[in-house]
Amino acid sequence: MARKEDPGRGRRLKKRAIRVRTPGGRVVVQYRHKVHSKARCALCGRPLTGTPTGPKFKMRKLAKSERRPNRPFGGYLCSRCARKVHLAAALS
Amino acid sequence: MRGECAVGVMEIGRVCVKIAGRDAGRRCVVVRVLDEKFVEVTGPKDVSGVRRRKVNVRHLVPLPQKVEIDEGADDESVREALREANLLEEFSKGTGRGKI
Repeated sequence: MARKEDPGRGRRLKKRAIRVRTPGGRVVVQYRHKVHSKARCALCGRPLTGTPTGPKFKMRKLAKSERRPNRPFGGYLCSRCARKVHLAAALS
Repeated sequence: MRGECAVGVMEIGRVCVKIAGRDAGRRCVVVRVLDEKFVEVTGPKDVSGVRRRKVNVRHLVPLPQKVEIDEGADDESVREALREANLLEEFSKGTGRGKI
């Protein structure tokens, strides 16, 4: 079925286009996948550790325990902020 | 920041809260002091979900409460001591799932 020409597709693809010189000497355009930004801590904004990022088809393959740390607030707060929160909660 | 290096705070029977690791936010009792940095704690597991394990004191914050147990006490006597100090209820909450 002919794909409807998507006016924005050219612009979107241009960002991901890479010019590659093939062994045969031709120059071919290849499209890399979008680069996904790192997950950030909700309090301090530092990139989260133990939290891989990637396109959906890659993330779906990962088990849940591979997507974020197995800790309360894992994948939401960095370990240092989580510690501060638990400390404050414990002392209150 | 925390008084854990003060002498006599982190001793046997001291009630603590784990602030790091997968059981962060849960209560536990110090069962044995291994050395300056490590203690052995237990929840016990079926009470607060903290299994008997060696823990770095930096991952614990001591609470004012203490329970009467002797060194290396088994989970049964720890649970008994907690019941006497009626801390059982408090130990079962606090899985750190709350909103901040």
